[in-house]
Amino acid sequence: MTVIDAYDLVKRYRTGGETLEALGGVDFSLSAGEFVSIMGPSGSGKTTLLNILGLLATPTEGRLTLNGRDVTDLGDRKRTRLRKRTIGFVFQHFYLLPTLSAVENVEVPRLFDRDPGRTARAEDLLTRVGLGDRLDHRPDELSGGQKQRVAIARSLINDPTIVLADEPTGSLDRETGRQILDEFRRIADEQDVAIVAVTHDELVNEYVDRTVNLVDGTVGKEVLNA
Amino acid sequence: MLDPLYRRFPSVLMARRNLTRTKMRSLLASLGIVIGVIAIASLGMFGVALQYSFTQNLGDLGNQVTVSPNRDAGVTSLSERDIREIQRVAGPGVTVSPVKQGIEPVAYDRKQNTSEFIYGLERPSEVYNASEGRVPEPFRSGALVGTTIAEEHDLHPGSTIAVNGTTVRVRAVLESGDAFSRLNPDSRLILPPSYFHERGYAQVYVTARTGTQANETASAIRGALNDREQRVTVNELGSLVDTIEQQFQIINTVLVGIASISLLVAGISILNVMLMSTVERREEIGVLRAVGYQKRDVLKVMLTEATLLGIVGGLVGVVLSLGAGLAINHYTVGDAMAVFRLANAWYLLAAFGFAVVTSIVSGLYPAWKAASEEPVEALRG
Repeated sequence: MTVIDAYDLVKRYRTGGETLEALGGVDFSLSAGEFVSIMGPSGSGKTTLLNILGLLATPTEGRLTLNGRDVTDLGDRKRTRLRKRTIGFVFQHFYLLPTLSAVENVEVPRLFDRDPGRTARAEDLLTRVGLGDRLDHRPDELSGGQKQRVAIARSLINDPTIVLADEPTGSLDRETGRQILDEFRRIADEQDVAIVAVTHDELVNEYVDRTVNLVDGTVGKEVLNA
Repeated sequence: MLDPLYRRFPSVLMARRNLTRTKMRSLLASLGIVIGVIAIASLGMFGVALQYSFTQNLGDLGNQVTVSPNRDAGVTSLSERDIREIQRVAGPGVTVSPVKQGIEPVAYDRKQNTSEFIYGLERPSEVYNASEGRVPEPFRSGALVGTTIAEEHDLHPGSTIAVNGTTVRVRAVLESGDAFSRLNPDSRLILPPSYFHERGYAQVYVTARTGTQANETASAIRGALNDREQRVTVNELGSLVDTIEQQFQIINTVLVGIASISLLVAGISILNVMLMSTVERREEIGVLRAVGYQKRDVLKVMLTEATLLGIVGGLVGVVLSLGAGLAINHYTVGDAMAVFRLANAWYLLAAFGFAVVTSIVSGLYPAWKAASEEPVEALRG
């Protein structure tokens, strides 16, 4: 099943008098349970593409379909609601709230919902990423790898169909990076969640189903992992 | 203990955690609010205490009306008919005490006669209380003296004085009255009306139960006696007391207004703290937006922080103000417990409400700024 279908995405920024083209007509599609990496040098438009796929930014041209629904022209409120329901985010710098415990951080996306099972679910997710004994620790009491696991648990709290990761291993050493990538692989396989990871890290390619190379805002050759 | 609250209002949980993150800063911001609340509430309470002690000193002044003949119109005394007319128009519960007045040679200590004003009242117990002895009812013989005379000449019930050569026994020393009152008996010598040769009355004391009733009675007397010519002068202090109280109200409003400026300053300090906080937490707020918080959710979190600062500062301020109020009332009214009066409760409530509103208003701009940040921009760092 196709969860993301992007057609001819163009993104232009206007800075000063100049118009900068970050994406120049990108087609991209993603199926449920697929783990895909987007690689490319700095300024190739990776993050811009991720932002558009994550409904954080709108394309200047092109169409974007999410779970069969055209979402290109949705307004901010509808995009936010859809983002909450269907997309989880993992960032390079984790971006956990330093004042909240691990469980509370996982609960954050649902904090304003009336949901009595929220805490139990957050604890369950943390246990599944191996942090069952760190539930009440604050982020500053956790290692980098542990923080990223909390972030992964947070991205899964809303049962998303897609998880978008921006340099998920960028702040981690190689060994910890492998553990995080194992975690992504497991989530993709077991829970049928589609994962897109934007990265510089060649290590990621050992775990993904395919790699999309972006060069100057257009898709280069695709590498399919056997 | 607060868990149910947090479960119900998750923004309170986030707000509290965020405020404790920069304890010193939050503390200083709410200290401004505390000072503002104390300034407003204690100045307000000070005004209330002043007004209270003022009205206490003035006492029954507002209930009293005096009627005197209008000498400018050639009227030198009030007749029995006038008295009956006054009694007719005065409402129920209003006492009408006609007073005779004369000048007689008085000897307090059997030595020397001096000319003194003497006053004649038929029923002095309606107007005066005795501090020594008893005011006779009815008053047929003897004399009543005010405290000033009594002290000067060492008079007590049973002492004798001579009025116009006749020996008179002092029956009672009268209780001190209100300093401003026309009825003040302190330096008066009061005799039964039968001592007087004149037929008419020099004055009529009218005592009502309330200031309003006094006011109505005064108008009624004017209407009845000054119908065709200005026969009498009617004096009432009630309207004067009202005017003075209105002045107090104005002064109090000005004082509280000045005090409010300190809350305004406190509001600016909250604005500053919240702005700093939104700049520092730009990325966190970006994450909240990314994981599905609507703009109004972010607005809610930020406004809750400002409100919390206001509520905590306001509560501490109210408690400290109560302490200040106890001290103020102890020194001005002489009764610390007088702080528990409705007017004071109103000032405390108003100061608290103003504190919370100021905090929320100060939080509006930073909260709006945080909420309207594009998540992509915020996450770029």
